[in-house]
Amino acid sequence: MVKKISTDEFNSMDKSGVSVLDFNATWCGPCKMLAPVLEEVSEELDGQANFYSIDTDDNPDLAKEYGIMNIPAVVILKDGQKVDMNVGFVPKPALIDFVSKNL
Amino acid sequence: MERYDIAIIGTGPAGLEAAITAKVRNKTVLLIGNKGSSDKVSKAHTVQNYLGLPEVSGDAMAKAFLDHAHSMGLEITEDRINAVYAMGEYFALQGHNNDYEASSVIVAAGMSAMKPLPGEMENLGRGVSYCATCDAALYKGKTAIILAYSSEDEPEAEFLAERVDTVYYLPQYDYEGNLGGNIQVTTGIKPSAIALEDGRVILETDGDSYTADGIFILREQIAPSQLVPGLTMDGNHIGVDRSMATNIKGLFACGDITGVPYQYIKAAGEGNVAALSAVSYLTELKKTQV
Repeated sequence: MVKKISTDEFNSMDKSGVSVLDFNATWCGPCKMLAPVLEEVSEELDGQANFYSIDTDDNPDLAKEYGIMNIPAVVILKDGQKVDMNVGFVPKPALIDFVSKNL
Repeated sequence: MERYDIAIIGTGPAGLEAAITAKVRNKTVLLIGNKGSSDKVSKAHTVQNYLGLPEVSGDAMAKAFLDHAHSMGLEITEDRINAVYAMGEYFALQGHNNDYEASSVIVAAGMSAMKPLPGEMENLGRGVSYCATCDAALYKGKTAIILAYSSEDEPEAEFLAERVDTVYYLPQYDYEGNLGGNIQVTTGIKPSAIALEDGRVILETDGDSYTADGIFILREQIAPSQLVPGLTMDGNHIGVDRSMATNIKGLFACGDITGVPYQYIKAAGEGNVAALSAVSYLTELKKTQV
């Protein structure tokens, strides 16, 4: 499951293990297409990583903190540290590979 | 939304032959492109090596192709596809006029002369973007450059200008618009290269260089890797195997876009193979869905 979170929730949550952050916006077409794909990936990798969705309109500070210049952007955190990022829509097999190689 | 069996992008010999073969195999077909086939066909003087049509003029050849397609009940939907998203069991096609869905896709869009600028692909997603409406909000209070290739891009500049501090608008077409306010229009500038320095984008041109937080390149023709995110390329061409399959399951390519030789009969032959491969894919897909 991909959980929609706010900046406050993000700052106070437990970030141990691998977290996958999907930076998006409601008016961004490719973001809307990526969301259901990421949802499926989160089901397949259930228990191996935590998946979060972050609206860049509502949370501009988080977007800035992670250097997001283009969306959709998927950021991988390991114990709270940014280790990888992918920008733009990606098909499911490629997205699974991208997350898996960072597990 | 109707989900077609096969969506075919392009109406040159590759796309038309793919559509005809798909129709013969009783598949529902969405054929998207120019109603007059491809300019590359209709503008050819004479073609000497197309089987069954000796010494044919490009014009007559295009007509023969289109008549054949129409006689099979095929209609061409005039639209420009901006993006094809592989959603898993289907594809979402985002067009200029409409959105479409199909279980499989055949890309037969031909070769464009478009070459990316040096530094463009390397910095994609790190300051270089093709979609102003996608990324506008991330540039709140910042500066951005727009390389525009059509007057249709002017509303995108206005949309971006509502959010950013300054927009440098560099039209690459005959500009007759009236953009103003925080949009600085400079005509006659030819871009040459893009570099990234300290998180800022530098655009080199034949005149001044421009520095900004981001650059939006709004071309009419998009590179295949931009048209289909996640597609594996082979140089400037789409990478395919002998069945015309790409690295994305259910997505096939044929014609000039897969590489040389750029020959009409080769394009048509590949269109035939791509359609038959798509038909096999659909049969397999149906099995997994039961």
